[in-house]
Amino acid sequence: MVEAELWLFVLISSLSYMTPILLATIGEIITERSGIVNVGIEGILLSSAFASVATSFFSGSMLLGVLAGTLAGALLGALFGLFAVYLRADQIIAGLAINMASYGFTVLGLIAIWGHHGASPRVEGQLPYFSIGQSTVPLLTLLAILIAVLSWFFLFRTRTGLALRACGEEPRAADAMGVNTYRYRIAATTLGGTLAGLGGAFLALEIAGVFTRGMSAGMGFIALANVAFSGWNPLPAVFGAYVFGFLSAAADALQQEVGYAYLLKTLPYLGTLAITVLTARRSRAPLRLGVPYARE
Amino acid sequence: MSGEALRALSETALALAAAVFVTSLLLLLLGYDPVSSLAVMFTYGLGNVEYVAAVAAPLVLSALAFLIPLRAGLFNIGGEGQAYLGALSFLYFSQQFGALGLLAGGLMGALLGGTLGALRAFLGVNEVIASIMTNWTLYYVTLFLVSRHLTHPEFPHRSIDVGFFLGSWTSFLLALALALLALVLLYNTLLGYEIRVLGSSRRAAAYAGIDVRRVTVLSMSIGGLFGGTAGALKVMYVGHLDTTMSALFGVGFLGIGVALIGKSHPIGAVLSAAFLASMIIGGHWVELRLGTPPELTDVIVGVMVLVLSAPYALKLLQRGGRLG
Repeated sequence: MVEAELWLFVLISSLSYMTPILLATIGEIITERSGIVNVGIEGILLSSAFASVATSFFSGSMLLGVLAGTLAGALLGALFGLFAVYLRADQIIAGLAINMASYGFTVLGLIAIWGHHGASPRVEGQLPYFSIGQSTVPLLTLLAILIAVLSWFFLFRTRTGLALRACGEEPRAADAMGVNTYRYRIAATTLGGTLAGLGGAFLALEIAGVFTRGMSAGMGFIALANVAFSGWNPLPAVFGAYVFGFLSAAADALQQEVGYAYLLKTLPYLGTLAITVLTARRSRAPLRLGVPYARE
Repeated sequence: MSGEALRALSETALALAAAVFVTSLLLLLLGYDPVSSLAVMFTYGLGNVEYVAAVAAPLVLSALAFLIPLRAGLFNIGGEGQAYLGALSFLYFSQQFGALGLLAGGLMGALLGGTLGALRAFLGVNEVIASIMTNWTLYYVTLFLVSRHLTHPEFPHRSIDVGFFLGSWTSFLLALALALLALVLLYNTLLGYEIRVLGSSRRAAAYAGIDVRRVTVLSMSIGGLFGGTAGALKVMYVGHLDTTMSALFGVGFLGIGVALIGKSHPIGAVLSAAFLASMIIGGHWVELRLGTPPELTDVIVGVMVLVLSAPYALKLLQRGGRLG
């Protein structure tokens, strides 16, 4: 392949890799703006990837697969919210627990359904897309960017968004103003899980075309890095997700060109680490992020 | 029994009950027999105590890797990467230096943990994100080295053999000794006191004149020391690494579960490591006997940790479910 063509291909396929990162990032931004940090999005990506592949396998419908993945994300987001909000759990620990249980549960399902320890069969079908020249861009990528814009509008231009942000900055004051902090927070974790779930479905059905053991492979944490990188704002998050997505796309394309597969696979992680180190302390987190809140 | 110990025990019992309930439902749903699966899982591991000791030894250490920084309010999720680095260092250095390879593994882990601590202390880098990124980086670096440089001359998919070996009981005693050392460190030294103050309140620690940065770097280094040694012990037991990473993968993450089920106390970690080790061995038997996947263990640990993350759940149960 001519070099310029290769890079053009990488730049376009970065849009694919960007999509699950962006969806998980937006979900986590909404969650964290309400004062809750959910590191369980890694496990939510994984569980919803599994749910979407299993559903499309049994139903033969990619669309049902996407819906199942999204629903699985919503359920896990709500479960996490139940623990984080009403049971005042340590949020980091509860999130890690979701990750561990998701890993075990999805491998169990992989073996029970397909009798295989590594990967499911390939999914049949194709999610909707449109073409640019010889390349294609998935419709869900456009949808993800649209969701970013809508989330920005919701968070910074509506009263409900203001109330949600108040829950993350000063829950006591929010409560005194008549904002039901508990309800806002559990709604935020559920919405956050829903978006991560859509991202997980995209990861499995569009990018990979299969379910493989532990396939989220740190993507949830790359999204967490993007949350801080974008200053808890969904619009810069689009740019951030593209940058992080580019690292994965480049690693994938270069592997096929030059070999050294194992070393190239470190690129997204080292790149994310470098960006996180270089941009740390640039922006301020919501004041009460991660602090359990008990109403008087 | 003190009230605190009783409460800790009730929380663990509640967590275990919830885990048994959830996994039973899951097994039913997937078409496995929950009663016999769980019976085999919880009892067969106890049949061979020496095997339990061998599996538990690295888990004690990877639990300490998480536990010490946790007591300072830091989340060392990097135990996994520290274990990879410790295993690689042990594999390499034990060829020439024998037992000193264990020390090399621990020191490399400490270097990595200390680096993560320094990034947090001086640059404000979130240690959870940085840890996960180093874990995955080292995962692929390990695969690269196993397949290119430390490769076995006859079997290209696996590494050379380790150059030093300790028996199961000796390994376990080593882990136990390090757990006791961690206990003394936490409760009988100034650094341990500073770690615990920092963990209960960063603000209080700063007011008390504690050098927060120093304690952050030190506690993460000590965590890394244990994490690296965990990986060294693990590869020593298996004898070599291979490109499936089945020997190492999950050692660090399971340590998080061990630490939390052990109520973040070094002695609790030893007990919970023995419990989990017997469950892991039981998990292999479940697979042999009934075809139920051994990843059942991960589900049980995950659900237990989820319940343990919310001690308030037990209070709520005792009050009959009234929020307050």
